Amino acid sequence: MGILEGLVSGFAQAISLEVLPFLIVGSVFGMIIGIIPGLSGHFAMAMLIPFLYKMDPAPGIAFLLAAHATVAQGGGLTAILFSTPGTGQNAATLLDGPPMREQGKAGVAVGAAMTSCFLGATFGAVALALLLPVLQQVVLFFGPPEIFVLSFLALTFIAVLGKEDMTRSLIAGLLGLLVSMIGIDNVTNQERFTFGLLELYDGLPLVPVILGLFAVAEMFDLFVKGGSLVDKQHGALSAGQTQKQIFEGIGIAFKKWWLVMRCSAIGTTIGIIPGLGSAPAAFIAYGHAKQTSKSKETFGKGNIEGVIGAEAANDAVEGGALASTVAFGIPGSSSMAILLGGLFILGLETGVDMVTTDVDIVFVMIFTVIFGNFIGTIFGMFLVNPIARATSIRSSIMVPILIAVVVTGAFAAQGSLFDIVVTLIFGVIGYLMKILNYSRAAMLIGYVLGHAVEKNLYLATQLKGTLFFLSPIPLTLCLITLGFIAYNVYGMIKDRERL
Amino acid sequence: MRRVFLTGLLSLGLALPMAGLLHVAPVKAEDAASFYKGKKIKFIVPYKPGGGYDDYARLLAPVMEKYTGADVEILNKGGAGGMTGANEIFRSPGDGLTIGIINGSAMITNELAEIKGAAYKVAEYSYLGRVTADTRVMSTSVASGFNTYDSLKAVKEPFKVGATGLGGSTYVDTVIIGKVFEFNQDVIHGFDRSGPIRKAMKRGDVVGMWGSWGSARKTVKSGDNQIVMQSGKKRHKDMPDTPTIRELVKSLPNADKAMKIVVGWEALSAVGRPIAGPPGIPADRLAFLRDAFAKAVADEEFLGKAKKAKRAVDYASGDEMSELTKEATDLPDDVRKMFISAIRGEL
Repeated sequence: MGILEGLVSGFAQAISLEVLPFLIVGSVFGMIIGIIPGLSGHFAMAMLIPFLYKMDPAPGIAFLLAAHATVAQGGGLTAILFSTPGTGQNAATLLDGPPMREQGKAGVAVGAAMTSCFLGATFGAVALALLLPVLQQVVLFFGPPEIFVLSFLALTFIAVLGKEDMTRSLIAGLLGLLVSMIGIDNVTNQERFTFGLLELYDGLPLVPVILGLFAVAEMFDLFVKGGSLVDKQHGALSAGQTQKQIFEGIGIAFKKWWLVMRCSAIGTTIGIIPGLGSAPAAFIAYGHAKQTSKSKETFGKGNIEGVIGAEAANDAVEGGALASTVAFGIPGSSSMAILLGGLFILGLETGVDMVTTDVDIVFVMIFTVIFGNFIGTIFGMFLVNPIARATSIRSSIMVPILIAVVVTGAFAAQGSLFDIVVTLIFGVIGYLMKILNYSRAAMLIGYVLGHAVEKNLYLATQLKGTLFFLSPIPLTLCLITLGFIAYNVYGMIKDRERL
Repeated sequence: MRRVFLTGLLSLGLALPMAGLLHVAPVKAEDAASFYKGKKIKFIVPYKPGGGYDDYARLLAPVMEKYTGADVEILNKGGAGGMTGANEIFRSPGDGLTIGIINGSAMITNELAEIKGAAYKVAEYSYLGRVTADTRVMSTSVASGFNTYDSLKAVKEPFKVGATGLGGSTYVDTVIIGKVFEFNQDVIHGFDRSGPIRKAMKRGDVVGMWGSWGSARKTVKSGDNQIVMQSGKKRHKDMPDTPTIRELVKSLPNADKAMKIVVGWEALSAVGRPIAGPPGIPADRLAFLRDAFAKAVADEEFLGKAKKAKRAVDYASGDEMSELTKEATDLPDDVRKMFISAIRGEL
């Protein structure tokens, strides 16, 4: 089947009556899972797997993938409205989303976030389609040396995230790296910092750490400050105001199309690299948005560009993540591993077959991601009003409820009491970091990338020797990294002279 | 109103101890089938959702419900390479209401190596039976040119084999069989999972890897990789042209000693993926569960779904499993020592 033929057939299947209802049900389901903190895309997919046995390939794929695609949208909604990221990948949205809500601009933030999600997802899906002819080469491009240098480049974004206080950001970032060392070292099989606890063998679990650092910390802060989730002066928005704001947000997202494109490109690239996941994608895109912005100083205080960058990237990841799954059957994340299992059940083979004879199925995936996110966007906008009412509830009532929800979410992901302890401990750490002005984003990036950097460095030196970075591609990436650091240092010196 | 409340409180106070008494009533008074009727069985999967163990559990749950009359609830308890879940099954009350699937060979290697987290004894679980056992294979990329055992033996420069971390089964297989044949190999270990190793083979970073036939099959079908040797007493029906390790060992100068290692190593993989409960399940309930499991894995609906999900089924009964695990944990001393040093990365 040719690519063009596959595109037409894929589109026709995606909008057919056999597929579309499943796509709609899947996206609404994913949205709801996204709103519940702790439960993420792979949970939504695992719940749908049993239904696949009796389904045809196209509706099955649409059902499964639509549920996965909209999870980040639901998560963005709660990140902005309740300072509680529904999933790990929405953590970056917390940097500028909640400040906007406090300023009475929740509707604008949600409108922009939803639209950026949709645009980012579309970008990722279109990129996947465009890459189809060269997909295998693109995925093979990233081996241990390349992944090491790229993760290292991503680590340098720690510096950007907290430019106003470089020392504190570095401390937070290095703390994150240290925390990532907890657990059994994959290479030497040695326990590190586990204190003999079996629960720490696999390292600290990601979802509880994120929920603690961001959601619980915000709750503590809100509780201490009192009041409600919205600023007293602004009060809760009326239905009409919210509606108006949402449209304003949509408009802004479209107006900043170039930012959306760049952040989506970052997301898609990170998605292609297996093992990095979508949480760093959103933070790196955020860092990029901040660095290229004309008003850097308002980032973290409710700059809409921060919301747009983060949300565009975390949905653009999907297109990239699908690439390595589809091209080789090598899943980049646990969600993609479940998708792969689903594909088997539906009788589909990944690899060469998938990008040649079954290319229409790839297009069903592409259109599912696009339509699913579109449906999620529409559905989400209707949800804003009823949910936004709750933001004016006073904190002494709201905080206990949200903490209960967050703790339940932390428990539900793995069914482990230990995860609740991790959530609460990181809640305290996150709160202290917040009031002492240390960047939690920098810590999270260090934590998420530490493992990838270390492991790939080890593999790269085993494979290519100590000077592995001197081969052409890693060398180019190294030079970009150095250039990036130099540019930042230069910017910092200039800022200092100005003072 | 107050009287109603007090009466309610009083009856609750009386009812609770009575319910407690009922609960400890002797088990033998009722037969196993009526015991399970409407009860809830916890089915523990020692890994996160997605992947082989989870798939098997989700395939089995509905048919186990059909044959036990109980509700089967799947709980994913990932962690410590499957040990967290295995420990949890081992420690749960032996009432026959908690079972799970375990990674038999990995749990045995951890137990042998006396890894601290291994709080179970593989030979002491109550086994319902085995759902599958992997045929272990060494695959090499077609592009590497290493297409037979002889070509691997003939190298002057060491060839690179990819593996996961120390102690993982891809690693243990690589070093043990490498030792048996005295391969001139470099083991590149530290990959997260088998997926990235396959990608490294495709990139030409490494020439081959050890793994299960189930997961290697796809890359052979696509023409990327080939199988150079397989485990087992006989050749697998899908690989009639690939020699078994036992066949290859015969030509070695120290064939007897090598064979002893291979037999021990294969005993590990024969344990496969059993369904197990904690020690001490009452005999009648265990017999009932074993019977239900035997019926479940022979069920047409189950087999159809398993085939669709490309999950091979290789049943062994609960009694056979108890034998297999004893064999695998009761190795000759020198073989056991060799395995332990392989697991610890000292080989």
